[in-house]
Amino acid sequence: MRGKLINYLIALLIILTLNFLLPRLMPGDPLQAIHGGEMLVELTPEREAELLRRYALDQPLPRQFANYLGRLAGGDLGRSYYYAVPVSEVIRGALPWTLLLAGSALVLSSVAGILLGIEAGWRRDRPADRALVGLTGLLNGFPDFLIGALLLVVFGAGLAWFPVSGALTPYAGLAGPALAADVARHLALPLTALTLANLAGMFLLTRGAMLGTIRERYVLTARAKGLRDRTIRYRHAGRAAMSPVAARLGVRVGRLMVGLLFIETIFAYPGVGHMLHQALTMRDYPLLQGFFLVIAVTVLAANLLADIIQHRIDPRSGHAY
Amino acid sequence: MHIDYQRAVTSSFQGRTGGIILGVVAVTALCGPALVGSPATPSPAVLQPPSAAYPLGTNDFGQDLFAQLVHGARLSLAVALGAGLLTVLTAALIGGAAGLARGWADTVLMRLTDAVLAMPAMVVIIVIAAYFQLGPAGLVLVITLFGWPGTARVVRAQTLTLRNKPHVLAARTFGAPGGYVLYRHILPDLAPILVVGFLQSARRAVFLEAGLAFLGIGDPTIVSWGAMIQGALRFFYLDAWLWWLLPPALAIAATILSFTLLGNILEALLDPRLREVRHA
Repeated sequence: MRGKLINYLIALLIILTLNFLLPRLMPGDPLQAIHGGEMLVELTPEREAELLRRYALDQPLPRQFANYLGRLAGGDLGRSYYYAVPVSEVIRGALPWTLLLAGSALVLSSVAGILLGIEAGWRRDRPADRALVGLTGLLNGFPDFLIGALLLVVFGAGLAWFPVSGALTPYAGLAGPALAADVARHLALPLTALTLANLAGMFLLTRGAMLGTIRERYVLTARAKGLRDRTIRYRHAGRAAMSPVAARLGVRVGRLMVGLLFIETIFAYPGVGHMLHQALTMRDYPLLQGFFLVIAVTVLAANLLADIIQHRIDPRSGHAY
Repeated sequence: MHIDYQRAVTSSFQGRTGGIILGVVAVTALCGPALVGSPATPSPAVLQPPSAAYPLGTNDFGQDLFAQLVHGARLSLAVALGAGLLTVLTAALIGGAAGLARGWADTVLMRLTDAVLAMPAMVVIIVIAAYFQLGPAGLVLVITLFGWPGTARVVRAQTLTLRNKPHVLAARTFGAPGGYVLYRHILPDLAPILVVGFLQSARRAVFLEAGLAFLGIGDPTIVSWGAMIQGALRFFYLDAWLWWLLPPALAIAATILSFTLLGNILEALLDPRLREVRHA
């Protein structure tokens, strides 16, 4: 376990270095890269000197890196050029929406994927299994943004069943149940898209693990004891199949983040993914760095959590290699 | 394990489907651009529905959407091929070196492998591509930079097994030169792993190339499937999505599907658990 912790520290260091170096490697003035292009127009000499000192840009690179880490440790993520507020404030505004969307999608796709995976793995190569594998294989070929785009044109524009952008109706002054219904209606399309995009991976993973566990002797023993089919399927084979599924939690959260970037962008859903895209297109570097850090640290944390769960379930997995 | 690739592909439905789709896309990418008109020339005939002159109609600049679709295949496959080859080469070098060297070099390389593996590679690639406004060649490099660890890990494990296999030791004992052993005994056993790695990386490259163009990151003048979809979504309230959005969407999905299908049959051959059929 300690070996794995070191891996995460190395990964975090790479992320922090990238986040520090990328704007400084940009062609042109690093001040411009760090504080956005148009900023220079209203830059007085005093302000420029203050910024230079603040980001230690006149210092050698290692000193600058130390300065960057120090400000980060103090919770200072810089100031968004476009929104003209601290980056941490923009992040705090986006996080609840992303938690709602990504959390619901993770739960829905996991529950559906695991149930279908257990049933399909149990019926390996029979018609129901073949149909499910074929369908999810097809779904797997559709990148997240295609699923989102198709839902948008069919259910948002063509049939006009759901709103196509935002998370709420602005200035509607809704409260209580009406507000909840409005949020749910705005959530419907992005949630469906994100769930569908993550369902196939979960299904194939669970099914693959089931193919391994249904051959185990304890399944044969359970059968010999005369247990009910459903009990063997879920309590014995299915439960044992959860270990590799839990181990992949980090990978799945990473994939979910990519999905968020595309699907929140399509539906202009004001979460982390949409804001990252905004920062990318507006070249708002402090904002971009902030959201990149949040996403990267979330994925690293999910990977670490998956390792800890895996270690609890199966202590043999503690050896990195 | 020595695999007859032709038989592996042609003997299963998955393999045949994947092979045919990839073949169609590849022929389109190779010959298509010479047969259609220019994809970027604007014309006064904007937002036209499909007609004899424009099989898929035109976009808001009056550009021929069918020509864009055909040219998009070339870009997509070129990035897939480049990223696939470069990733596998890097993975083979690092994984092979770690497996052969062992000791501290192995430890350092594998630490790095696991660290990169724990990072959200796709998000990192997208952010870097956005910072530097990368074109296709730059994209291939960045995909390689963050895409090699998965395959490198498998290559290392396989190299560790292979170096002590009796047939390799026997060939050495009989005085076979190192190059011969590598070519005759080691490479055929590593080949399936490398092919699977190639297909995974190629698949990721198709997704990323389209995805970045879709997000509007990179050179806006490059004709690509992702850029077509981005353009179409600006007019999502028109019927135009039927011939503007759907064809590139299906093209991307089919290309990714073909890489997945071909990868699946190879993985099935590599994984003994999946080889035998058993009903519960």
